[in-house]
Amino acid sequence: MGLLSILRKLRSSPEKELRLLLLGLDNAGKTTILKMLAAEDINHITPTAGFNIKSVIADGFKLNVWDIGGQRKIRPYWKNYFENTDILIYVVDSADKKRLEETGIELYELLGDEKLQAIPLLVYANKQDLPNSLPASDLAQALGLPTIKDRAWQIQSCVAIQGTGVKEGMEWACKTIKKK
Amino acid sequence: MNSRNPLIKQLIIHLNDISHNKRFTGANEREILRGAVNSVLLVKKINPKVHFQFVKSFSKCVEQIWGYQQLIAIVEELRTTGYDSDNLTHEQKLYDLWANLMPNEPLESRVTKQWQDIGFQGDDPKTDFRGMGMLGLENLLFFATEYKTVATHVLSHSNHPLYGYFFAIVGINLTSMAWKLLKNGDAKSYIYNVSKSLPTIRLFHQFYSYLFYEFDKYWLDCRPKNMMEFPNISEKFERNIKLSLNDPTSVFRINISVDTV
Repeated sequence: MGLLSILRKLRSSPEKELRLLLLGLDNAGKTTILKMLAAEDINHITPTAGFNIKSVIADGFKLNVWDIGGQRKIRPYWKNYFENTDILIYVVDSADKKRLEETGIELYELLGDEKLQAIPLLVYANKQDLPNSLPASDLAQALGLPTIKDRAWQIQSCVAIQGTGVKEGMEWACKTIKKK
Repeated sequence: MNSRNPLIKQLIIHLNDISHNKRFTGANEREILRGAVNSVLLVKKINPKVHFQFVKSFSKCVEQIWGYQQLIAIVEELRTTGYDSDNLTHEQKLYDLWANLMPNEPLESRVTKQWQDIGFQGDDPKTDFRGMGMLGLENLLFFATEYKTVATHVLSHSNHPLYGYFFAIVGINLTSMAWKLLKNGDAKSYIYNVSKSLPTIRLFHQFYSYLFYEFDKYWLDCRPKNMMEFPNISEKFERNIKLSLNDPTSVFRINISVDTV
């Protein structure tokens, strides 16, 4: 995955624990991204009932990645996991145009939360391999990301099932943390 | 299993191949069993007329051991078959699931919020089967059809105002649990004890149905605050199941408890 090399770059602040929160609608690909980060098999994923957590340890760094189920009825519990988040990662199924509005509403609800104030935002425009997917730049416009002024943000196109783009997103996340 | 005799080695390779390719059935099965027993009689110089019980018992062992291997292959084939909404058989199975669980409520359309009433995530279940593929649907359908009363009862629990959960989603996660227990060999005691002949897919579905029924009871007993306790509770549940599978005597009871409800 190349995650090790990213972590190596962070050696300036050893022993640091980072808390990454993965959110997004159901079927966006959050668990696949989590498994990719942990270099685990992605061929027998089930819908997340509740949450998954994985810690990736390397070079004295500990990345605690929280993947919370995206189902509508679970979303009210998302806020229980906001505390001490270092990076908010929001995953979007770029081919699910029908739910673009819904995913936008959920995202802005998150951005409006006090506990997530000024927390850097990484949006994964996932499933770019699907024929009718929206390119990352269009998705950024559709979600109104350019209007975000209160935090660092980045959109990264990716194909989580192939691992494409996942690393680049994490590189941005680590770089942003370092600046803080 | 680790015989250095070339004939036995060859026999094992042959049996592995047969079971992985799911050809251990019908007339072929009898032929294979006879061949396996004869090879061992020959190599170990056993006189079948004196040790007639050996022939019977050893044949049964081969049937069970490679039947289990074959069951893994059958289950794996279903799991890796993704749900396909262009496949009419798949679609019909989804409709059947609804009809069995909600006999008094017709489905308004193929894509509808009603699916959430039986615990799917959104308005189209097709994206929920994911890595469990058709195995997830077949498991749910078997439970809902063969243990209709139990399944309806469990479904009503899943709608409990305080301790409710998502029936289908939890079901698909239990498919994953049953599949893992089968693959890593934990389910051997159950399968070996319950199957009188060659283990079939029905046995796996029964094992799943048992897990679902027991999980529902366990979940209610835990009085969870909300769905976020699922990972924790299901981990504890799996540990308990593994413990009872380790004890060969308790396995038989597993089957009875589902059948008599």
